[in-house]
Amino acid sequence: MNGASRESGHHGHGLRGRLLAAFVLVAVPPLLLFAVFVVALVTARLERSARQRVEQGLDASRRRVAVLRAQAEEAVGAIAREPALTRWLAAEAVPNAAADAAERPGLPLVEVIDGSRRVLWSRHWRAGIGLPDRDREVPGSPEFRWVTVGEGYGSAERLAVMASAATTWAGAPVVVRGGFPLDGDLMAEWSDLMGAEVALRDTARGRWVARPGSPLAAADLPFTPAWHEGTSDLGGTLYRWSAAPLAPSVWVVAAMPHTLLSEVTGGVRWLTVAVAALALLAALGTALLLSGRIAGPVRALAQRARGVGAGDLEGSVALEAPDEVGDLARAFAAMTEELRVSRERLMQAERVAAWREMARRLAHELKNPIFPIQLSIETLRRALGQDGEDAARFQALFRESSDTILEELGALRAIVEEFSQFARMPPPRLGPTDLNEVVERVLSLYHARAGSARIETALGARLPTVAADRDLIARALGNLVANALEAMPEGGTLAVRTQAVPEGVALEVSDTGPGLTEEQRTRLFTPYYTTKKGGTGLGLAIVQGIVSDHGGRIEVASAPGTGTTFTLVLPRGAIIPSVETRSHADQ
Amino acid sequence: MTRGRAGRARPVWLAAAVVLGLATARVARPALGPRYGGELRVALADPPATLDPAVPHSLTQRLLSRLVHATLVDVDEEGRPRPALAQAWATAAEGREWTLRMAPASFHDGAPVSAADALRALRRFLRSDSVAAGRLSRGLDGGEAFRRGTTDALPGLGAPDENRLVLRFRRAGALPLAPLSSPAAAVVSARGSGAGPFAPTTPLSPRGLSATAFGGHVAGRPFLDVVRLAVVPALAAEGGLRADVTAGAPGLGPAGGLLLLLLDPAAAPFHDPRARRLAAATVDRGELRRHFLSGGEPAEVLLAPWLLPPAPKPSAGGPGRSDPTALRGRLVLRVASDVPPSASQRIVAHLAALGLDVQASPAPAAAALGATGQARLVVWYPEVAEAGLALEELAELAGSPAEVHAVLDAADAERDADRRRADLLRAEEALRDAHVLVPLARVPLALSSRPGVHGLRVTASGTLAAEDAWIEP
Repeated sequence: MNGASRESGHHGHGLRGRLLAAFVLVAVPPLLLFAVFVVALVTARLERSARQRVEQGLDASRRRVAVLRAQAEEAVGAIAREPALTRWLAAEAVPNAAADAAERPGLPLVEVIDGSRRVLWSRHWRAGIGLPDRDREVPGSPEFRWVTVGEGYGSAERLAVMASAATTWAGAPVVVRGGFPLDGDLMAEWSDLMGAEVALRDTARGRWVARPGSPLAAADLPFTPAWHEGTSDLGGTLYRWSAAPLAPSVWVVAAMPHTLLSEVTGGVRWLTVAVAALALLAALGTALLLSGRIAGPVRALAQRARGVGAGDLEGSVALEAPDEVGDLARAFAAMTEELRVSRERLMQAERVAAWREMARRLAHELKNPIFPIQLSIETLRRALGQDGEDAARFQALFRESSDTILEELGALRAIVEEFSQFARMPPPRLGPTDLNEVVERVLSLYHARAGSARIETALGARLPTVAADRDLIARALGNLVANALEAMPEGGTLAVRTQAVPEGVALEVSDTGPGLTEEQRTRLFTPYYTTKKGGTGLGLAIVQGIVSDHGGRIEVASAPGTGTTFTLVLPRGAIIPSVETRSHADQ
Repeated sequence: MTRGRAGRARPVWLAAAVVLGLATARVARPALGPRYGGELRVALADPPATLDPAVPHSLTQRLLSRLVHATLVDVDEEGRPRPALAQAWATAAEGREWTLRMAPASFHDGAPVSAADALRALRRFLRSDSVAAGRLSRGLDGGEAFRRGTTDALPGLGAPDENRLVLRFRRAGALPLAPLSSPAAAVVSARGSGAGPFAPTTPLSPRGLSATAFGGHVAGRPFLDVVRLAVVPALAAEGGLRADVTAGAPGLGPAGGLLLLLLDPAAAPFHDPRARRLAAATVDRGELRRHFLSGGEPAEVLLAPWLLPPAPKPSAGGPGRSDPTALRGRLVLRVASDVPPSASQRIVAHLAALGLDVQASPAPAAAALGATGQARLVVWYPEVAEAGLALEELAELAGSPAEVHAVLDAADAERDADRRRADLLRAEEALRDAHVLVPLARVPLALSSRPGVHGLRVTASGTLAAEDAWIEP
């Protein structure tokens, strides 16, 4: 890619990059905000839902316990009043007759305690009949008791919500006590209904009532009356839990695995991030597409503008977009067309001017020899027409006039030859050329013609060999040297220097002549422009043509009174390796 | 096959079986009498462990021991030998030598039962873990050395011919043949076949066993054609087998087992005799029987009255209440699976009333006697329904107190019935006074039969005798 292309590409990518950056800056923050907002919203909703479920579970448990307690009070009161109690107790005197009582529906826990706190009758702990009552109140919560129930080959303690009623039997005071067990089975039922782990905690005894396998059964939750919710690791799983008091020492605790919440929020977070990523990709794709559609025409316009700047007015930009870029492209095309027409007009005018200048020069150049020829011929005709002119004088006159005619014809021939040479300047035949050698060869021809002028040389050492046509370079140098010497008829200093410069090899020819005016300097290389009497104005034009054919450039530095310096720079492309190196390369 | 029963010796059991069958029949329909045929289906919870003769520790093993195998003798209520595979016997050398004459019988594999088979069975029996075998070995000439395994020579036991088995004792004893009635002393053929009334027709499996009536049985062919023992889970798989005999509820026969509380004198709190006495006294046996043991009887002594009639006044262990704060600490009670849970709960309640934190955990009936724990609650059946051997067995359970063994040895040598009974009572009292073995109640075998099943009986050892059973058509 050349420099223009690189510049074009850089500009194109810059615009596209800026457009993409703008898209990203515009699209990403809202997407991120959206993702964060959605995740936060869903997490908050889920957590609130979980908390609500736990709270609802706690409320339902408390209500259920209250209902059980009310049922127990009603049933126990009825039992204490009805005569069946007497029958039950009397049945104990008959072997296995207590089964009658056990079949009664209603309270699963019923017992009758006598005044000495012995079990007169028990539905749930028949093994304890006649033995001391082992039930224990929960401190501060008389409606909750740890009751002994028959289980398996022995007995077990069960937390129960109980009611009691005083009555008499056989004339002695007794207490009827009954209620419902708040046991693991009930906790399992509540847990299944509420979708959360539900358990009871006797804080006074530090005992749990939970379904079998419940993680709460072995938990050591730090709840206090002031702080009764939190998140704890239960059996390796994080649970969110909340507790509510049923009584001062009896709490109902509901817990939900935090992992469930984490899984849901994690899923939402992943989904949100995925949606945001997809949206971002879509935005990037859109940005790429749009930036391409915007930057493409701009880049084409820029490239076309650079072409116009380089003089190419023939191309066009095919943009039919109906937007501002299209307007710009159409305006640019119109401007280019205008430029092209203007340039054609200018070129045409310049051609006309050039032809006029050519005609003027030709006329001027040709007029100078023609006039002496005409005078010589007219002199001869007058001499021939005069009588008495002796033959000797006529012959002398004829000889002089013919010499003049021949001389002027020779001048005409030289003019024609010079024009012819300018017209058919041969292409350079490049070869390894030592520029210092060319300088020395050319200067050796002009030492004799230098007259009072002094020639100085400063040839650079280790000057690289360049690929050049040594004859053409010698001719260009000769023209410059000749011009310099002609500019110093009264003497001066001609200096010729060669040196290696970063972009190639420089050949500098300077004189100490009168120098050039600004106009002269600007028209210096115009063909047929000359300030010298008898000059054709083609010398420097030929020099510029030779340098241009070698890919080099020529510069002139001059001001009136300071002399003139011409600098020829042959570019690096014309530099070729040394002879040895080249020979080596040719092998 | 001829189903003749001519010439068979049907003892009083037949009449008793008929009476028992009539008593257990709920349908008031007169039975026409014994009949041949029919299949007796017995549903059990535990699969049988082995068919080899052994001391039975589980209900299933007790059933199998009497169905499949036969012993040389049976014993009556007083421990006196009754003919079985040995049809007659004679004594010599002032009661030190006993010669048993083999009855004409055969094994299930067809081989005749010979004295050599009996000799082989008794040699194996003497080296078993049976307490009765221990008693026999101590009486037989060279028996103890043989039991210890120090020698294979056993001069006290010989079979001079195919029909005679000779036992030579070091001294004359009261009931020297009683140990031969142990189920572990059953006679099997060289190929392992038994000689009981029913011959197995299917291999022993976790699902149960089928046995068919054996015509070569020493008492003749049983009335039933087939006895089928089925483990309960298999019943459902078979589409609901209607069982004739089921385990779990008592109903067959009188209370024969002893609900026994064993207290470990080596572990707290029962290393203290006062704690054992307290625990023994805390259970109200009358209440226990009345409300928690269906068909049970209070037991103040270790042996049933028909084994050892009690002395007029038991010396200790009466019912009563105790200070509920007398004991402290945790008590692990291992309860055999054949103990009624209601009874266990009551006993746990009594122990808890003493202040103990009782943790009752179940143990398989067959392993409960050997289970570890501060206390064990089991239903105990004597290996041999003879008072001396039963007390010997109880003494083993109590840790073999030397004074008890001395008294039992004296009783074993005592040929006078009254003095022997007095010795046995003294031994029983000594065992009971140690309060390591706490008798609580006598319970019947947890087997019941449906109406229409007659003649099934439970022996004093808790074995099921089905050879005289029959089913109404």
